[in-house]
Parts: sequence; C-alpha cells; structure tokens
Amino acid sequence: MSLAWTAIRFGTLLVYLFMFAPVAVVMLLSFNANQFGSFPMEGLSLRWFVALIENDAIVRAFQTSLVLGALTSVISTTMGVLAALAMVRYDFPGKRLISTALIAPILVPEVVLAVALLLFLRALDVPRSFFLLLMGHVIFTLPFVVLVVQARLVGIRRDYEEAALSLGANAFQTFREITLPLMLPAVLAGMLFSFTISFDDITGTLFWKPGGVETVPTQIFAMLRNSISPEINALGTVMVVFTVALPLLGAALARRVSARMTTGR
Amino acid sequence: MDQTKRLERLLERYRNGDIDRRSFLGLLGAAGLGAGLAGGPMTLLARQARAADPDQVRFDGWGGVVSEAFREHAFEPYTEKTGIPVVDGTFGGADEYLARVKASQPGEFNIAHLSGVFDYARYHGLELSTTLNEDNIPNLKLVIEALMNAFRPITGGALSAVPYDYGTTGIAYNRKHVSDDEAKAQGAALLVNPDFKGKIGGWGEWKTRIWYAALQTGQNPNGIEDMDAVWDKLREHRDLLLKYWGSGAELMSLLAEEEIYVTEAWSGRVKALQEQGHDIGYLDPPGGLAWQECLFVIKGSPMEACEELLNFMLEPAVSIAVAEGQNYPPALDPTKVDLGEVVPTLPAFDPTGTLESLNFFDPTYWNTNEQEWSKTFGRVQKGR
Amino acid sequence: MSASGSLATGFDRRPWLLLSPALVSVALLLVVPAMFIVVYSFWLRTATGADQVTFSLDNWREVLTDPFYRDILIQTLRIAAISTITCALVGYIPAYYIAYAPTRHKTLLLVLLMLPFWVSYIIRTMSWINILGVSGAVNGVMLWAGIIDEPIQMLYNEVTVVLGLVHFLLPFMILNIYVSLDGIDRSLTDAARSLGCTGWQAFREVTLPLSVPGLAAGSLLCFVLGAGTYITPMVLGGPGDAMFANLVFEAIVTQLDWPLGSALSLLLLALLSALVLVYSRFLGIDQIAKSFR
Repeated sequence: MSLAWTAIRFGTLLVYLFMFAPVAVVMLLSFNANQFGSFPMEGLSLRWFVALIENDAIVRAFQTSLVLGALTSVISTTMGVLAALAMVRYDFPGKRLISTALIAPILVPEVVLAVALLLFLRALDVPRSFFLLLMGHVIFTLPFVVLVVQARLVGIRRDYEEAALSLGANAFQTFREITLPLMLPAVLAGMLFSFTISFDDITGTLFWKPGGVETVPTQIFAMLRNSISPEINALGTVMVVFTVALPLLGAALARRVSARMTTGR
Repeated sequence: MDQTKRLERLLERYRNGDIDRRSFLGLLGAAGLGAGLAGGPMTLLARQARAADPDQVRFDGWGGVVSEAFREHAFEPYTEKTGIPVVDGTFGGADEYLARVKASQPGEFNIAHLSGVFDYARYHGLELSTTLNEDNIPNLKLVIEALMNAFRPITGGALSAVPYDYGTTGIAYNRKHVSDDEAKAQGAALLVNPDFKGKIGGWGEWKTRIWYAALQTGQNPNGIEDMDAVWDKLREHRDLLLKYWGSGAELMSLLAEEEIYVTEAWSGRVKALQEQGHDIGYLDPPGGLAWQECLFVIKGSPMEACEELLNFMLEPAVSIAVAEGQNYPPALDPTKVDLGEVVPTLPAFDPTGTLESLNFFDPTYWNTNEQEWSKTFGRVQKGR
Repeated sequence: MSASGSLATGFDRRPWLLLSPALVSVALLLVVPAMFIVVYSFWLRTATGADQVTFSLDNWREVLTDPFYRDILIQTLRIAAISTITCALVGYIPAYYIAYAPTRHKTLLLVLLMLPFWVSYIIRTMSWINILGVSGAVNGVMLWAGIIDEPIQMLYNEVTVVLGLVHFLLPFMILNIYVSLDGIDRSLTDAARSLGCTGWQAFREVTLPLSVPGLAAGSLLCFVLGAGTYITPMVLGGPGDAMFANLVFEAIVTQLDWPLGSALSLLLLALLSALVLVYSRFLGIDQIAKSFR
C-alpha cells in the first residue's frame, strides 16, 4: 500500500504542477520590467503593482467582480441546496424533466442564453440592470451547485436523519444538526464553484452588463485589441497571494491560538 | 401598498433626485423580475424613466489606454461643463457590440467607437444611423475631408459618425528570417510563401483575408472577378498557416514569441512591438489595406448632447492622447492642426492629410457580398 | 428514489417548496427566453443582418443536412469525450489523495484547485504560449538539457485544445470525485480489508463503486462544458480545430444570423439534453450501489 500511496502522492503533485503552470507564468510576468512577456525576463520590477493600484478602472472592475461573485455564490448555493434536497429526498412526478431543467443552463451555449435573455427583456421593455446580471450569473452557476450537492446527498445515509427524527427532532432541527453538517463539504464546494465561475465569466457578462458596470474579464476583453496591460498579471498575483497566503496564515494563527490555550490550561 | 403604487413612489423619488438613475433602474428591474410581471405598469415606468432622463450619454469603446484617455481628456471636462454624466462601457469587438445593440432597446446605446466604413454602412443598413447637425461640432472642420467623404454617400450626404483614427493592415515579418528587401520584393505573396509553412499567421476575419487573397491573385480587391481563385488562395494560405489570430494582444504575442514569422498585422500593434525592442518589420504592400475608425451616434440618442460630446472628443489634445495610447494616427488634418511630435512617427500617418495613397474597403461592394463571403470564409477557415 | 416512500402519501408539497426558487428562476431566465430561440429558428436573416419574421424550415434543413455541421459536431463530441476521459483518469488521483491523505490541509488543497480561476480565463489560456511555445519554458529546458536541437512546434493543434480544456475542467472533476469519496463510510473499506481484501481489491470493490455518483456528475459537467466551449479552440487551436459553439458564436455574433444560430444551438441543446436524461437514469440505476451498505 505504501508504494501505491507514494505513486498517488506523486501523481497528485504532477496534477497540481499542471494546474499551476499558467498561474506561475502570470505571476512571474507580473514582476517583469518589460511590457511584453517573454522569457528569460530582462529585469524585475514592481511597476505593474504600482500601476495596478493607481488604475481606477481595474480596481473598480475588481470590486464589482468580488461583489457579484459573492452575491452569486450565496443566492445560487441557497437555491441549489434546496433543489438538491428535493431531488434526492423526495419522489414526485416529472422528476427527470426537472433534473434536466436544473442542469439546462450549462447545456445552452452561453452566447445563445445571453442573446435569448436580452430578447426576452426587450420584449418586456425591462432595461439591463445589475440585478439582471446577478440573476444571469445565478442561473448558470446553479447547475454546478445542484450537481455537487446532489452527488453528496446521495451518499449520505437516510438512517441518520431518520434516527434524529425518531428521537423527536423536527424536520428543521434534523436538517440543521444532521444533514447540513454531513453535506457541508458539498455546500462549500458549491459556493466556491459559483463564486469562481461568476468571477471568471465573460460571455454572459458581456451581453448583460448595464452601462458603467465592468468586471475584470470584460475589462480584459476590451483590452485585447491593443494589448493586455501587465497590470492584469499583477492583479492575478495579488489574488493568488491573498487566497493562498490568507488561509495559510489563518491556519497558522489558529494553531498557535489553540496551542496557547492548551498550554495555558 | 400594491406593486404599481410602490413603483410610482419609486419614480417620484427618482425624479426628485433622491436616488440616482442607475439604482432606480436597478430597483425597477428587480421589482419587475421579482414580481414576474410583464408589460403593464412596468413598461410604462421604464419608458418614463428613460424619457425623463435624456441628459446622460452612453459611450462604448475599447478598454485600457483608449478608455483612460477618453475619460481623462474628454468625459471629465465635458461633464464638468455640461453637467451631463458620461456612462462608459467597453466591448471586445465590433461584431459582439453590434449583436448587443441589435438586442437592445432604442436609446440604450448612444455613441460607439466603431471600425471603418464597412460597419458604418452595416449600421445604416440595420436602420441604426442618425443625422448629425454638423454646426454643433465645430471641430469637424479639423477632420481630414477624405475620411468624411467616405461616409457621406452612404447616408445621403449627411454624417452619422465622425471619423476618429485610421491605420493600415499590412504585413509584419520577423527580421531574423525575412529581410526588408525580401519582404518588399514579395509583397502580399510573402503571406503564402511555402518556405514559411507552419510559421505563417493570419487574421481570422473574412474581409481582410479576402482582400489579401485578391491581391495575391492579382485582382483588384474592390472588384474581384474570379472569386474561385480567391477561395483557392485562401485555402492555400490556410494549409500553410499555424494560426488564425483574433486580437491585437494575440498578434503581438505570436510575433514576440516567434511562433510565427509572417502575418498580416495592424500597423499600431507592430509599432508597439518595435517600441519594446522586438525586431519586427512592417510593410504596406502595393494595394495594401487601410481602415478608419469613427465615433458613431446610434439611433434614439439625445442628439445635441452627443454632438457636444463628439466635439470634446475631437479636441486635438484628446485625439492626440488617444492616438499615442493606441499607436494609430488621429483623423485630424495635419495641415490644419499641430499634432505634436509622436503622431507623425506613427505608421500609416499621412502628412498631406489627403490619404490618397491608402486603399479602403468599398462599403457598397463589401456589404453586398457580406452574407455569402463571411459564411464561406468561416468554412474555409475550418478546413473546407 | 429511496426511503421517502413512507413520507410521500398523497400529494407532498415539500419538494415543490424546496424547488420553487430554483425552478422559478430557471423558468423566467432560461425556459421562456429559450422559447424565443425556438421561434427565431424558423425566421430568416435579411441581407442587412436584420431578422425577417416568417415561417421557414430553411435553417433546419441546412443544419440537419449540411455535412459541414455534422462533421464539426462529431469533432466537438470527440474532443469533449477525450477531455472528459482524461479528466476522469487524471483527476481521480488527487481527489483520492485529498480525501484519504492524513493531512490537515484538505481545505487548502481544495481551494488551491480553484486558484487558476483567479487569473482570468483568457489570460491563463493565452499564457500556454510561454510554456509550450517555441521560445517557451518546456522547449527551453529541453534545449538546455540537450534533448533536442531545435525547438519543437507544440502549440495550435487538437492536442493543445484538449490540454486547454482539461486544464479548465479538471477542478470540476476533482471536486466532484472528492465530495463523493469523502462521503463514503470508512468502516466499509475497513471491513473489506478485515475480510481479507487487498488494498486494491477494497478500492475496486468498495471505494470505486461508491464514488461513481461523483465520477458521473463530474463527467457530465466536464462533457457538457467541454462541448459548449468556444474560447479555448479560438486561442489554442489551429485552423480546422473549431468546435460547435464556435459555429454558434460566429452565426450569432459575426454573421448576425440569429435564426441560423438559434437552429444550431437548439441542435446542440437537444443532444446534450439527451445526455442528461441518460445520466439521470444512470444515477437512478446507481442507487443499487447503496445496497452495498
């Protein structure tokens, strides 16, 4: 087993290397003194980070993307968890049709969904708004949440819930005390999915964004004609550092705090 | 309080200036979707909201340096003077933008930084054009005549847009592998030179590719007689090709990383590469292609506000800042305006202000063939 | 499905209550707009690019009979299938590791998977040129090590399209498998081991079958997303490496032929929906796996 385990560990390492290769390129290039990235780099510089902070447009787009992603992930995960519960825990007519409907948003090519929704809104004479953009993101992140939560729920044994119910807990208590903790990893995965997909979406956002609203991807898209400024690479680096360094730091702090508590006792 | 009452109160607050337009429309949209109600009061209110607020101008253009230059040099002074806010948006390509405009309500989009005469005619064909009152745009007198004359016949002598900048789509080559003399001797044929098989790039855009294929078959691009020869040439090019590129950023990285040695290329992008020290040559071959960009006013826009903004955007200082940002010369006539030191060094720049040496798409000709050619090219590109 | 039979006597409102937010949103923002697409597919495009209201079967005739569309469709399904299988094979390993490794950093490992998404899709897809390009890192290392004398041309073919897709889809696969592995009761594998199974047998007989829901969900996601992609072939493909969504995008955006684009997308939609129906039946059958417990 230990040989097999070594192989698994090595395989995992390779996969992570593959996943990070483009990220590493972007991070390295953000320290490049030159505007056009090519290796070997001719000099190191922090100028793109300075430029990033001073670039209102990118900073604003970044804030928009964060807010949009956070709202999307909360709404979409809530809807998705409820729907997944219904799909796994109950029997009802038309179930297969509904499960297709729930996954449908990723079956339609995004550009079609984008145009179709605009046509519908034009027919209603409803103007584009941030709320619409948000709901658009919710719609096509929903299938991710439903799929991942459903897969987890199928694996959770019904006995636990029934035991809780038979011990006198009501349905909500059972959900809160038993089901939710058991499916928590899937819920978190769903939130993570919906946030990142929303954060990274281009096609739908291009069509649905109201005037004056730009997300990071749409900013990048508009820069493509002339050249993507390396500030975008710097933004990638900042994002990565925050998402990796902060959890690491948090974990380290937590360990220290708990260590102190044990020693203090 | 029922839904309609609530919305009416919302509208009232909005008119009093308690909430700004964006959040008002947002709330309206939310209310409408939340209630799931179609037509009726919603339609009415949305319409009122837009009519009650003619004094905002929506501009859409390229992002990055271009939008920064516009914002700083044109939009802010304009808003300061007139009190009319400019809402600016961006797009990644002219086609994508047109698709959005086609799906929008009239008046939602106002001014756009569009490419060339071809799109001008396309918008006119889709009944999206307007008639500018040229007296309201004094800076129009500084603009190169020839650029405006390209638009006038399409819209019956009037203008629906002001020209803004121009450039060429010539041939870029890696000087390590192609000398200036070789490039000059071969001209357009360089792009189908079998010696560079697997090292050739091309813009995946039907008009430009057909233009160059016409040159390669010895025909006048604005009056092709043997279309079959052109399609064959396009297939020949495709089989020698490494990659169709789709954006300036992609073009630059393909050249800079030496993935490709020759390609057709936008003048300003090659200039940017040269400035960064890459040894890339640029050639406008005989019969090479030039294009212009314009600021187009879309049907349903508040005309006077748009005309005034156009005048701001045509100010020499603004034009020059944008030109230096994207490396394409402005549409201002160099015999009438001092364009500073950088602009005259830009590729495609014409000091005479006549543009007689440049060839543009004949809009009528290309628009007539658009439907068939663009579709056929899409197939050739994918291996047919 | 399972044990809810006892709860579901007569009409049960609870599932509908749970489903209503999602269903209302999908209905309003997807199903109703999709009706527009159906209507559009019977219209025609005018010479200028406007839509002509009519009833015509021309688009459908073209979409269903033209071998060009058929070929691209087959190519699309092939590329999506290859990418999905690659993801499943490659993705199982890290999913297994994260689920079973004695590490406190599970959450971190999972979050790390989504890390590439912080760098925008276009940027990270384009950055492969710095890794696999003729002057990229891989060629650089091989030249330096003396393995090759000339840089190898690796980019812009079907392999790089698959590579780009796998890079994009892998996190979805890994997370789905992980979630399913993590939900498996450990006592089951222990029991299998104590009954004399080798580690491999325990995996094959217990763990693998129980992780099938995750594998299936991940595969469905990967296949569907892979089949609907258009940016990856645009950035990493050579001439001829187009996928079906590129045709849809071109019809709608470049050619402004919305009627034809509608018909094309409905065709893709129909195929993928059929796949989902198969999947939901498959997941239903998979309930047998639960009798293992």
